[in-house]
Amino acid sequence: MGYRIGVDIGGTFTDFCVFDERSRTLQSLKVLSTPAQPGSDVMHGLRRLQQRFEVDPADISYFAHGQTVGVNTVIQRNGAKMALLATKNFRDLLEVERLRLPEVFNLMSVRPAPLISRDRVFPIEERMRADGTVKVPLNEDDVREAVRTAKAMGCEGIVVAFLNAYRNPAHERRTLEIIRKEAPEMFAFTSSDVWPVIREFERTITTVLNGYVHPKVRDYLTSLQRVLKREGVPATPMITKSNGGVMGAERGKTSCAQVLLSGPAMGVIGASYVAGLCGERKVLSLDMGGTSADVALIENGRPQYGVGEHIGDFQLFIPSVSVSSIGAGGGSIAWVDSYGSLKVGPESAGSDPGPACYGRGDRATLTDAFAVCGFLEHVKLGFGEVTLDTDRARSAVGAVAQRIGRGLQKTAEAIIHVAVSGMYLEFGKMTAKYGIDPRELALLPFGGAGPMIACFLARELGIGRLVIPTAPGVLSAMGGLISDVKNDFIRSLMLRLDDGALADVQRGFKELTDEARRWLKDEGHFRGRTELRYSADMRYLGQKFEIEVPLTVRAATKTGFARMADDFHRRHQQVYDYCDPTAAVEIVNLRLVIVGVSPKPEFRKIARSSKRPQPVAVQQVHYDGTARRVPVFHRADLKAGCRFAGPAIVLQDDTTTCVLHDFDVRVDPYGHLIIERRS
Amino acid sequence: MSIDNVTLEILANHARAAVESMAYTLLRTAHAVFVSESQDFTSTLVTAEGKTFTYHQDTGTTWMVTLDCEGFIKLIDSYEEGDICITNDAYSGFVVTHYPDLMLWKPIFWKKELVCFATCFIHHTDVGGTVPTSVSRDNTVVYQEGIRVTPRKLLKRGKVNRDVLEMILANVRAPEQSWGDLKAQIASMNTGERKVHEMIERFGLKTFKEGIHDLIDSGERQARDIIRSIPDGEYRFSDYIDEDSAGGWPVRIAARMVVKGDSILLDFTGSDPQLASALNVPTGGGERPWIVLNGFVTAFYSLVPHLLLNSGLTRPIRCIFPEGTVLNPQFPAAINARSIAAIRLQDIIVGLLSQAVPNHMPAAAGGAVVILNVATVDERTGKRVVTVINPVMGGGGGTPHADGPNGAGGTCNFLMNTPLEITEAHAPTDILRYELEPDTGGPGTYRGGPSIRMEFQIHSPSTVNTRNKDRSKFQAWGVNGGKPGKAARYLINPGTNREVDTGNADNFAIEPGDIVSLVSSTGGGWGSPLDRDPETVLADVRQGFVSVASAERDYGVVVRNGVVDGQATQRRRAALRKEKAAGYFDFGPFRDEFERVWHDGNYRALTEVLTTVPVHWRFFVKHRIFEALARRGGTGIGDDGSAVYEAFEQLGREVPLPRNLPGPRMRARSGRRRAASRNRVPASASSA
Repeated sequence: MGYRIGVDIGGTFTDFCVFDERSRTLQSLKVLSTPAQPGSDVMHGLRRLQQRFEVDPADISYFAHGQTVGVNTVIQRNGAKMALLATKNFRDLLEVERLRLPEVFNLMSVRPAPLISRDRVFPIEERMRADGTVKVPLNEDDVREAVRTAKAMGCEGIVVAFLNAYRNPAHERRTLEIIRKEAPEMFAFTSSDVWPVIREFERTITTVLNGYVHPKVRDYLTSLQRVLKREGVPATPMITKSNGGVMGAERGKTSCAQVLLSGPAMGVIGASYVAGLCGERKVLSLDMGGTSADVALIENGRPQYGVGEHIGDFQLFIPSVSVSSIGAGGGSIAWVDSYGSLKVGPESAGSDPGPACYGRGDRATLTDAFAVCGFLEHVKLGFGEVTLDTDRARSAVGAVAQRIGRGLQKTAEAIIHVAVSGMYLEFGKMTAKYGIDPRELALLPFGGAGPMIACFLARELGIGRLVIPTAPGVLSAMGGLISDVKNDFIRSLMLRLDDGALADVQRGFKELTDEARRWLKDEGHFRGRTELRYSADMRYLGQKFEIEVPLTVRAATKTGFARMADDFHRRHQQVYDYCDPTAAVEIVNLRLVIVGVSPKPEFRKIARSSKRPQPVAVQQVHYDGTARRVPVFHRADLKAGCRFAGPAIVLQDDTTTCVLHDFDVRVDPYGHLIIERRS
Repeated sequence: MSIDNVTLEILANHARAAVESMAYTLLRTAHAVFVSESQDFTSTLVTAEGKTFTYHQDTGTTWMVTLDCEGFIKLIDSYEEGDICITNDAYSGFVVTHYPDLMLWKPIFWKKELVCFATCFIHHTDVGGTVPTSVSRDNTVVYQEGIRVTPRKLLKRGKVNRDVLEMILANVRAPEQSWGDLKAQIASMNTGERKVHEMIERFGLKTFKEGIHDLIDSGERQARDIIRSIPDGEYRFSDYIDEDSAGGWPVRIAARMVVKGDSILLDFTGSDPQLASALNVPTGGGERPWIVLNGFVTAFYSLVPHLLLNSGLTRPIRCIFPEGTVLNPQFPAAINARSIAAIRLQDIIVGLLSQAVPNHMPAAAGGAVVILNVATVDERTGKRVVTVINPVMGGGGGTPHADGPNGAGGTCNFLMNTPLEITEAHAPTDILRYELEPDTGGPGTYRGGPSIRMEFQIHSPSTVNTRNKDRSKFQAWGVNGGKPGKAARYLINPGTNREVDTGNADNFAIEPGDIVSLVSSTGGGWGSPLDRDPETVLADVRQGFVSVASAERDYGVVVRNGVVDGQATQRRRAALRKEKAAGYFDFGPFRDEFERVWHDGNYRALTEVLTTVPVHWRFFVKHRIFEALARRGGTGIGDDGSAVYEAFEQLGREVPLPRNLPGPRMRARSGRRRAASRNRVPASASSA
């Protein structure tokens, strides 16, 4: 029994979530992030936890940590100087990408400069065929020469990505041996180690990203380990991953591509957990902060997974929790274009200067619009340290009002509606992509700005129910402390699914299983229940996109193999509304996910009371063209079982929930606010 | 404007969300490779009059923003709820532009009132005709190009009209695939209908109906503002397609743009006569055909990013297309390969605008987008397989601020390639090379992006289909001192004694072991290469985009032992500056040479004489006149068009040329020419 701690390091704040296994209660804390001194924010937070909640570092039994070092390295483009060793005559994967340009309507659109410039891409004579046989043997002299030149150019590391290496990694492995011998001081990664999937560009860019962030991530994790040791934390630090799982920090130093998108993933994991507690089957989570909002679909407590998530100018092709990013946040700036149209975002006031009402900026933001409407009159920022400057918000919004020739209140409302319609557009694309009807969904808003705007968005989307978590501002940190130990494994096959494929499928799954068990064993500390999830990427012969098909039976057996095709047809029917049981099926990849299930904290139910809660204030709020008197509540005063009708404003340390007049609120046994639209 | 700006902005977001949903629905459910590979589809919403009021941007083609469906909408007598109509016939209303595009439209009602239409097309894998995929440059009439589905109802009040459906499916090579794609199109439009109903519930009928017209008005206002910022004046530009038929003569498309205040007139008089090949662009002589004006949409978008995209953008523009020309062919001229001409039209629009706003337009992009299919037999299974290998195109032209992109650029920026590993795993194909080719992008202060070189080998007898080949003769032009990009090279077995130059031939057979090599045409440079920073040239040399020899020859930068020799560079650049410079455009030697014979004077004369003969004679007459001038080897050809008049008169003596009424002006001038020619040119023309 001890404390489980989840930490999420963001651009402005570092969030802590502490679960006390004895009292089964959850506490949270925010401290300022210190990107310049890695680890000092964590140290500061640990000390505050001790002061505030008497958490003795020696009692910390679990410590999971999400970081943004990797993703910032890519965005700021200050990663490692590297060389790429590529198959001769195929030197330009990074220069050409997949052809398509970023802005398809713009004749001046150009691709971002590659992370490794062409003079550091070395063609190596070698060639594997698609069936894994050698067409041209590896020219080892080419490799030695390339390593020497790369060294002379001042490269810190080398990435090796050869054609068809997903099928036979022998040339990549031999090349790695030569690099280790010739230049032991340089780091090196091969595509077959990082993510051995078919599709040469996708495999290469993923390997390049892994190397690019490696030195920074490694150094950061080393300093984190040092801090924890010095503070006397006995738990092995875990690091959160893009796939929504965790792994030991030591491993994160080399498996860097896997931790790049852990921030948004953890929020979704936290949201999934809350959705499960509330018994919601289909949930859209909305993580909205100052500059952007991340949206994800959660079905039956599980998020969607996908590949190709964006990091800065690039895409990453290892399985990640699927998150769509929308350029709308509390800090999104309202402006008027030359045609007199009101626009909101994508430019954001971010955290510095922040919305005008935070007292430093003077451009109107979405948050200022809420302030002008009167929603934020009693809000205190930064855990009670700052009061909002509504006058400043009024003058900022007033400047916009002048340009569009409307009154102040009307302009504030217009800003909210334009922002919401922009979010509607992005949500609409996402629901279309997954083929879901938003009216079947519940919305789960979190982050600083999510609960503020959620009712407006629910109206626009036709969503009838919202769930507000107990600590919306630190849900990502909470995600970290409930995550499972988890890793993905893949084998690309490209085989027709018939009896001839049985041996390959059996061998493939056997190898994946052995590899996965070895991986979990190497994690060392894990002692719980283990799950192996088998799936395969399949498609009809001739199709260009494959779909991931969860396999109902372990396909390594003969009966299991026979059912693979059935599983595929059924899944295809679900996704595309048709299937063709007579058509030939192709297996693209075999997949295995190993999960070391971590013990989930059992949250304690909160105190019950059916008494109507007492508002701490009543506030005049303008929206829908009317001024209304709106009661203001403290979240802590809302007991399980209590109900009240909107309009209402609910205050808590990390966010403000705005309930509109056509919604009703009830508090569930865990303290979540369930907000439903009155029909 | 009848509804307020804020509501309009919100409506714009909802409308776009609707069409993005339509497009995603189609993308998820379609079968055709052209949907997933080439994004060759659209799915959008148009007003009751047929005007596009919103457009998808995340998926689908970028070409049809200004689609106007009025042409086929009015060919159906009456619409009922649940109807879905279909056509692929360009000559029925001039909306569709080639037969593989099966276009559907669905009336959307609200309480029995027709409020707008959903519409969508997919480029179907095959619609019948002489060749698989239905697209061949060599066809001459539409009857060879696939089944003609003139406008009719595919669904009547929600029920499939089996007579129509079965007739279509009986005439295409992949009926199951086509039916699958039609179902995807129907699903997509049903999504659109649901979204429109949601919008009407949200905004009210009146706001919706007025709002969608206001959106188009906003598009128009944006365009007019942009046009006002373009200096008034008359601008001329022409460009060429390499051949008007297999082994034929060039096709010239000539345009005159008059910018006046906030409107533009675009006159294509002087463009070639309609062709006896499938490169014709069916416009029906309409004032704003989307396929011609799409270049303005991308140009405007490049000038003002995040423009509201809809049909209002081309309202301030009016076109003139003389009848019987390549841009306004008469039925039954073949049209399926019109993409080549459409891409060239986009170059021409950039060329016109470049003269008006030189600091805001790029040099020409590669200008040929080769779609590469291989039909072969998989020896492991004995089955015929058709593999789509990469599009081979680009790079782009240099821009006023940056080098053109590598191996892409221009107006097909939405295309994606196919991973080589996927291709190799599927077909008995060895890809030998997929790499950028040095010294190809047009030199410039900002150079063109390098070409792609793609080489592969097939191990069984196969047919290679390389449609949309072009620019293997005429080059993509440089601008403002920039040099043209290298022309394309399409070879079999390069560098061996079995080397064959396939030129622009689109279908050819290859033998086991043959190597097919395609080097794309690439974009021109922007600004003088002598003004490119020597260190940037050095970086190009280090990165292998530019050779040491080209650095010295084209950029005047002398690189020795891996560094710039400053003094030698200064001397070299000073010497190069003294050489005669090309004009504002640098078209390259092939076009310069061609235009020594076929200059404006001769083209004017050609246009003039062709208008005197019936349309179906013009292609023949053009060829005979070209042959006659070619026989003269360029000697004694003046700039007054007399050589053309002579050849025409001679032809009139050889064949019974039927005449339209020759105008008096024509008679007078040709008489004068005849007199002149008697003096100047003796027997050479008539002796042939």
